[in-house]
Amino acid sequence: MLRVAIKGILARKLRLAFTALAVVIGVAFMTGTLVLTDTINRTFDDLFATVYKGTDAVVRATGQFDAPQGMGAQRGRVPAWLLAKVERVPGAAEAEGDVLGYARIVARDGRPLGNPAYGAPTLGGSWSTVARLNPFTLVAGRPPQGLHEMVIDRKSARDGHLQTGDVTTVLTEAPPQKMRITGIVRFGSTDSPGGATVALFTLPVAQRLVAQPGMFDTISVVADKGVPQDVLASHIAKVLPAGYEAATGAQVVKETQSDVRKAMSFFTTFMVAFAVIALVVGGFIIFNTFSMTVAQRAREHALGASNRQVLGSVLLEAAAVGLVASAVGLGLGVGVAIGLKGLLAALGLAVPAGGVAFLPRAAAVSLLAGVGITVVPACSPARKASKVPPVAAMRDIVTGSSGYGSKERVAVGTVITCAGTSALLTGLFSGVPDKLAVVGPGALLVFFGVSVLGRSVSLPLSRFIGWPLPRLRGTTGQLARQNATRNPKRTAASASALMVGTGLVAFITIFASSTKASIDTTIDKSFTGDYIVASGAGLMGGLGPSLAGRLNRLPEVEVATGTRAGLVKVQGSVRRVLGLDAPAAFRLLDLRPLAGRPADLGANSIAVLEDVAEQDHLRLGSQVHVVFKDTGPRALRVAMIYGESQPAGDYVLGMAAYRANFAAGYDNEIFVKKSPAVSNTRALDAVNEVAAGYPGAKVLDRASYKAEQAKPVDQVLSLVYTLLGLTIVIALLGIANTLALSIFERTREIGVMRAVGMTRGQLRSSVRWESVMIALQGTVLGLAVGTFFGWALVRASAKQGIEQFSLPVADLAVIVALAALAGMVAAVLPGRRAAKLDVLKAVVTD
Amino acid sequence: MALATPQSLTTSVLAAQTVEAVKVYGKGQAEACALNGISIGFAKGQFSAIMGPSGSGKSTLLHCLAGLDRLTSGKAYIGGTDLSNLDDRQLTLLRRDSIGFVFQAFNLVPTLTAKENILLPLLLASRSGDPAWIDHIVSTVGLAHRLSHRPDELSGGQQQRVAVARALASRPEVIFADEPTGNLDSRSGTQLLSFLRTAVDQLGQTIIMVTHDPVAASHADRAIFLNDGQVVDEIAQPTPRLVLDRMNDFGK
Ligand SMILES: Nc1ncnc2c1ncn2[C@@H]1O[C@H](COP(=O)(O)OP(=O)(O)O)[C@@H](O)[C@H]1O
Ligand SMILES: [Mg+2]
Repeated sequence: MLRVAIKGILARKLRLAFTALAVVIGVAFMTGTLVLTDTINRTFDDLFATVYKGTDAVVRATGQFDAPQGMGAQRGRVPAWLLAKVERVPGAAEAEGDVLGYARIVARDGRPLGNPAYGAPTLGGSWSTVARLNPFTLVAGRPPQGLHEMVIDRKSARDGHLQTGDVTTVLTEAPPQKMRITGIVRFGSTDSPGGATVALFTLPVAQRLVAQPGMFDTISVVADKGVPQDVLASHIAKVLPAGYEAATGAQVVKETQSDVRKAMSFFTTFMVAFAVIALVVGGFIIFNTFSMTVAQRAREHALGASNRQVLGSVLLEAAAVGLVASAVGLGLGVGVAIGLKGLLAALGLAVPAGGVAFLPRAAAVSLLAGVGITVVPACSPARKASKVPPVAAMRDIVTGSSGYGSKERVAVGTVITCAGTSALLTGLFSGVPDKLAVVGPGALLVFFGVSVLGRSVSLPLSRFIGWPLPRLRGTTGQLARQNATRNPKRTAASASALMVGTGLVAFITIFASSTKASIDTTIDKSFTGDYIVASGAGLMGGLGPSLAGRLNRLPEVEVATGTRAGLVKVQGSVRRVLGLDAPAAFRLLDLRPLAGRPADLGANSIAVLEDVAEQDHLRLGSQVHVVFKDTGPRALRVAMIYGESQPAGDYVLGMAAYRANFAAGYDNEIFVKKSPAVSNTRALDAVNEVAAGYPGAKVLDRASYKAEQAKPVDQVLSLVYTLLGLTIVIALLGIANTLALSIFERTREIGVMRAVGMTRGQLRSSVRWESVMIALQGTVLGLAVGTFFGWALVRASAKQGIEQFSLPVADLAVIVALAALAGMVAAVLPGRRAAKLDVLKAVVTD
Repeated sequence: MALATPQSLTTSVLAAQTVEAVKVYGKGQAEACALNGISIGFAKGQFSAIMGPSGSGKSTLLHCLAGLDRLTSGKAYIGGTDLSNLDDRQLTLLRRDSIGFVFQAFNLVPTLTAKENILLPLLLASRSGDPAWIDHIVSTVGLAHRLSHRPDELSGGQQQRVAVARALASRPEVIFADEPTGNLDSRSGTQLLSFLRTAVDQLGQTIIMVTHDPVAASHADRAIFLNDGQVVDEIAQPTPRLVLDRMNDFGK
């Protein structure tokens, strides 16, 4: 039986190579993702283990709540007077206060380095004078000493074209500072910790600029020789007042490592999802190829092979193909990992240099996935081949099976589609904890169900799609149309593979377009000012508050007010809240106040969105429990209820409450309204002139603000397009494969047509249009599924501010056109092969 | 048959012609000479039968004349056109416009109806053809009520008649038929042959048919005998008796 299987493989080298390629791509992607994850984990693990080697204990405020996405426990600061107490603890050799916060280094060309909103953080901190505690090492220059000195990381020096001796600006909560660079540092073996930019000052300067005078973020302690970390930590714990804790160095390393893993896990999940999609598409192709080849096989086996032998040899062949393809994919995966690392670097998240970690787990998962995705789809065709009498199989080859498929098929397809749809909707609309774990499989089931149903709609769909072909392309068009409809099962299966890719592209396009439309509407509806000064910062940092103050004092400006952001835990869940200077901000931002007055938003008050208030039975005067990282749990009184969820979100704090509970005081954005008496250009000039002193501050009018908000959407979109492009390429391989096999089966009739006068060009053209029809069929189904997905996600994201469903007709038309074009490309090789066919041989041999 | 006849004279009378046609298959040791210098002409409006033992080169001659294969040396003409000067595209167009085929196996396109199969060469040329002519052919072959059927819904004889109708549809210069009755029962075979005869007599077609069957050959105006790639004999107005006698002579 093995011999038969091997012979089978050798006889179908080319076809199998094509098929295997689909598996290779999926496995390579999967391996690449896993290898990259392992590599990142290992290098960061090593990195933190090394740089914190000398730290035996860390004193810090108790964590108030855990923030998602690897941001770790949110905690306040430690008063500086604790240092003296900690130093005196038995077993403590040395102790030092540390500060780490937000700072942005301005490059030589005047632009601030890094992209804190979407990339690695931009950090500012204190230079440690205790060598054992200092994770940084100088590679040039000397440590910072004066009030206006700093050292920066080597990556920032390189990216910003800065060197020791240069004076450059640093942006912090304080007004922009001129600082002399006295040295360049590395972080352990890397130029920067994970691609972050780092500026280090003397401790007092760091406290003033990025923290608070008299406060540390943590105190690091070195143990006396022979004192274990846990003993030291427990000694320290005894002298600490309530609200503070001592952790061992090992514990901090572990926490940091796990935070990095969590931060990376979003990326990893994202990439694994694409690897799974690629593999699923590969599975469709495997199914199709084996369906076609076993029919031909049945003829070869007609002489004497038992059903079990047929079944066994087909499965063995599938396993062998899967194994070889997975092995190749595994090898290529290492290359993919290196490529993905480059992608991460391009996103501003640098992975430390070092060898690639190729762990057995990655190999095992990839091999299993690769072999599984080959063998499982081959099962059904193999079983069929062992049941169907060879004569029937042969007839099937020549004339194809027409019709709409059995009733059972329609029933099964409908059940699967409905199951998928309900999983999808459940995941999206009900509060399941891990949405992706429900939505992902649900979406796959929908694709699967539609592909089962696809066979039943294939015929009318093909007729519809191919309707203009005879008009456009005459006889070749008509032949293409007939060929595409002659075996609806096969056409549907080939189309299914493409459906997944185009479906996801359509989905993401619709979702992105809806997001952008919603952003535009929100801005038009809520923003009643003229300009916005954006900081480009994320949750941490932003514009120093002095900018808003200076803008407010301009005679050209009627009012300028900064908005602040911060993480809190409110009613049990972690979320971002907005801090507003209430009376002023409400003149620039229409949040549709329903009850209470902005002026009531004092230090102990909070404003709540109408929907949330309704859900939690809150009214004016009710209490809301909020946990702040700096001040801990607080009960705030509802002083206002508003109706507009964007851009404020569910909760808004007045500036007094924000200041009372957040140590940091950065403005995330500044809203500006010009004086009515002043012309637009004059006001804009004035605002720009002030903002010029704050590198990184971007002055935007309404239109450019919209564009700016849409930018990250477009960036994600192009990344997703790239990744989905891969699955589309795989699907095209499938179409090419189907065509090549069909052409092989139709050798005789192609010979006849060539003999009675079909030119090579006409033959290629008919193959081309058949391919286009298959591609369009997949695309039409994909658009239908994708539109549904897009609609569902948009409806489910209303709370996140995506309130508008926008169908980007032009973009979808482009997708259809590209799919048709791709179909033409897929037809090139099969068409060429068909054209090369020896007419005489085809006609005469029987 | 005068070999040296100038072309200008022959084109007007000859529908097809070979001059010193040689076809060698394989190379070196495996070399096999299928046509060994055949010079022969086929007059317009004539029904010729090519006969000879198996492997004598009948099919090869037909294929080289029909532009499906190329001669190793010598010339093949359809009308006045020298096939050796044509590239693939020109040969294809020649087959489409000037040649009709009927093969032993029923070579129809399975996805097309009988009507579409008949019109295929015309459709490929984006021509509608002469409807009256098509109707005439269709009724002559007796397929009028089968036109919308696909090949797998037709009997062998009907399929072969569709093939003949297809060959006639574009009024080609010549129709080639390679053992067209080989797969038919004798009644269908006879029907087909008398139809071919009608095409020659009433429609003025030129037909060159390869056959093994003396009775089939007797429908032709002329029977040409091949052996080892050479023309060895020819009978005008063959009868089954005459042909059989001649075949027995070669058998000896
Ligand atoms: N494609 C080919 N390759 C090699 N030899 C061939 C090929 N086709 C035909 N021949 C040889 O050429 C000779 C003539 O063949 P053919 O024309 O088919 O004879 P017929 O039709 O009279 O039976 C035979 O000896 C045959 O073996
Ligand atoms: Mg023959």
